[in-house]
Amino acid sequence: MPAAAAVRLTGLTRSFGATRALDGADLTLRPGTVHALLGGNGSGKSTAIKILAGAYLADGGTIEVGASVFEATGYTARLGRDAGLRFVHQDLGLFGELSIAENFALDHGWPTAAGARIRWSVLRARVAALLERYEIDASPDAPVGELRPAQRTMVAIARAVQDDEGVDRVLILDEPTAALPQHESELLLRSVRRRADLGQTVLIVSHRMQEVLSVADDYTIFRDGRTVARLVDATPTEDELISHMTGRAVSRAGACDTPDAADPARDTPDLVLEVRELVSGPLAGVDLSVRAGEVVGIAGLVGSGRTSLLKTIFGQHAPAAGVIRIAGREQGSRDAVGRRMAEGVAYLPEDRLGEAALNGLTVVENLSASVLRSFWGLWGMSRRAERDQAGGLVGRFKIKTASIDAVFGALSGGNQQKVILARWLRRRPRLLLLDEPTQGVDVMSRRDIYAAIRDAAAQGCAVLVTSSDFVELCTLCDRVVVLQKGRTAAQVAGAALTVDHLTALTQSAVLIEGANL
Amino acid sequence: MNQVSTAGAPPAVAEPGDATPAGRHGRLRGLAERNALLALLIVIGGFFSVYPGSAEMFFTPENLSVLLGNQAVVALLALAVLLPLVSNYFDFSLGAIAATSTVLSAGLMSRNGAPLWLAILAGVLLGGAIGFVNGLLVTRFRLNSFVATLGMATLLGGVVQWYTGGQTIITGISDGLIDFGSATWLGLPRVVYVVVVVAAVLWYVLVHTPFGRTLYAIGANPRSAKLLGIPADRNVHLSFVLAGLIAGVVGVLQLARTGGATADSGTSILFPALAAAFLGATAVRPGFFNVVGTLIGVLLVSVSVSGLTLAGASAWVSPVFNGAALLVAVGLSSYLGRHRGVAAQ
Repeated sequence: MPAAAAVRLTGLTRSFGATRALDGADLTLRPGTVHALLGGNGSGKSTAIKILAGAYLADGGTIEVGASVFEATGYTARLGRDAGLRFVHQDLGLFGELSIAENFALDHGWPTAAGARIRWSVLRARVAALLERYEIDASPDAPVGELRPAQRTMVAIARAVQDDEGVDRVLILDEPTAALPQHESELLLRSVRRRADLGQTVLIVSHRMQEVLSVADDYTIFRDGRTVARLVDATPTEDELISHMTGRAVSRAGACDTPDAADPARDTPDLVLEVRELVSGPLAGVDLSVRAGEVVGIAGLVGSGRTSLLKTIFGQHAPAAGVIRIAGREQGSRDAVGRRMAEGVAYLPEDRLGEAALNGLTVVENLSASVLRSFWGLWGMSRRAERDQAGGLVGRFKIKTASIDAVFGALSGGNQQKVILARWLRRRPRLLLLDEPTQGVDVMSRRDIYAAIRDAAAQGCAVLVTSSDFVELCTLCDRVVVLQKGRTAAQVAGAALTVDHLTALTQSAVLIEGANL
Repeated sequence: MNQVSTAGAPPAVAEPGDATPAGRHGRLRGLAERNALLALLIVIGGFFSVYPGSAEMFFTPENLSVLLGNQAVVALLALAVLLPLVSNYFDFSLGAIAATSTVLSAGLMSRNGAPLWLAILAGVLLGGAIGFVNGLLVTRFRLNSFVATLGMATLLGGVVQWYTGGQTIITGISDGLIDFGSATWLGLPRVVYVVVVVAAVLWYVLVHTPFGRTLYAIGANPRSAKLLGIPADRNVHLSFVLAGLIAGVVGVLQLARTGGATADSGTSILFPALAAAFLGATAVRPGFFNVVGTLIGVLLVSVSVSGLTLAGASAWVSPVFNGAALLVAVGLSSYLGRHRGVAAQ
């Protein structure tokens, strides 16, 4: 019954330059069901959600929401909202310091009396009723920041559909559990399930296979921008879903490619980094070793602790427990970043503008910032040495800039990243930590950055790199460690290091348990 | 041109290579930007030297000497204000710190018969100590520097009232100090040399030490600075202490110039100093607070006010000019900042 669809996307296409992110993808939501949209990195599912949310414009296709039909090329966020789509993004968009009632009112307007006076009692009563309906055990006056994470997500959901007395609204949850610990996501999913049982239509995008299996009725799987599978009212196994996502059958034996499940690097004399039972934030006991000259990748979903691991190794976060040894020396937590740098550790953060750039300063100043002391002598800072060396680095790292005196912020993303990399590599680090080294970097610069990283490794630098781009990990790394829920769950190296295999490993908890047997 | 070499004496410490051109095609524009303030100073100075209403009095050694002597205190305070500003922190209490130091030095000599060296030392160290507390509030307790130092300024104003009982301290102040405040050396008031020495040291610290460079890095992006191993909190704290010490020197110089300590809260010299620092950020190294630009800023404001006064303008002209200069300076420097960071937004 085609007319009964709550949402139907047909032949959706969208290209970014030469890349076809969506290549005629279809998606149909039955009303009153929880529908899971699945796919690996680059499958096009995020693009599809962004098109639905009106953040991207599609190149072609049609979007139907309830009874309304839109050409996808003319679709806007406003049309989707009017037709009944409600989004809850991973960043919930709540104001933590304001009360639940205020958060609702900011979205939906304040009930007012004469003279624009806010009728607090009306607002409170309305919000209390909503909270009760959504089974959120909290007072309307409670600050959102004091709620537990699952409750916060439920508040965001309730806020998104608050004006909806019927059930003809469609709720779209984008990675709702990515930042939640397991018991919180179970709570949340149970609530979502109950909403669906009451007739709410829900589209859920998630990487966590088991959670999706516990809540969804229907499944749509994207691969390479196309819909490759549609399972209606089905109870597939995890393996089935993964084989759809990767396009090939999953062999459980294939997961155990590393014969020695422990580190192959352990106890070798040229060990540069040794991490044992590291606990910090989302990390719940990570073991890891990196040898000199080795490039080790870290794969894992959002929330798996990738970034925390690098920040903890660099000393930005103090570990709650566990041991970090660099070149055999155990690291303390006092003045940690300075000490780590003295030990020869370098760190390229994920958030380039927020945590690496000295934006208003020039290219020279950005390059020198890691080695200021080396220019200081009897006559002050040696400007000539500083500029000569900066000129050399600009050439060596192929940084495209009008001059070394150009403002850092005026460079392109790729060239900014090269400056940051050059800033650290000029210190000849012993251990280089890279967090998403080519995020927002063009293809040409990416090649230069890879070359620089390999060059450093060839000279004996140990490299630890995290990336959500599995192609990058496969190109760059000798070995990839898979993090899941804050633990090292598997390792892949050699011929087993393929994009499909990494996708399967990061998506599947079952497989990983197999690998660790 | 003779005008420049006299009025522009402090910029002698400038180094042309200090400035950073904005790129090859922007070189000419950069040159104009860096020197606009100096050019304006020359134009205004030149104007009052020939304008019939002020020409007779303005360009005389006496007037210039008085002008520089009076502005020495503001110039020095502007240098103090500059230090925290480099890392994007305000210190509004520096005027009040100077006033407190003035009162303490005067009081120690007048009431306790303390020797001059002790009174000076106490005044300067008190400034440093208050700066230390400011730094602690800002870096350790994470108070907003704007509000914390405003609170400190108000508090110190009250302490000054209490200590003096609202009375001016004029008796018992060392004659040596007062002589120093009024005497000249090679035709320039001695206090000007103090400014030149402090400016030179501060210029060296900001431009030619790793410490100074880290202050600019912290100003550009404190999170990046921390991830470069820069002890950002410690360095910012130190910049507050140094600013407090300089403000302590300002207090002692103020005492030397006026020969007494009034129950003043110090705001009357703070605002011209702030104006000069912001004006300075439009010159020499546009978009950044810098020593040479700040000195040019002080001279610009004082030359203008002096010329206007000699030309017969009323007393209200000076604060109006100061305020307008501050507004224009802040507007210009934030425009320049935006212009520089335009690609980053």
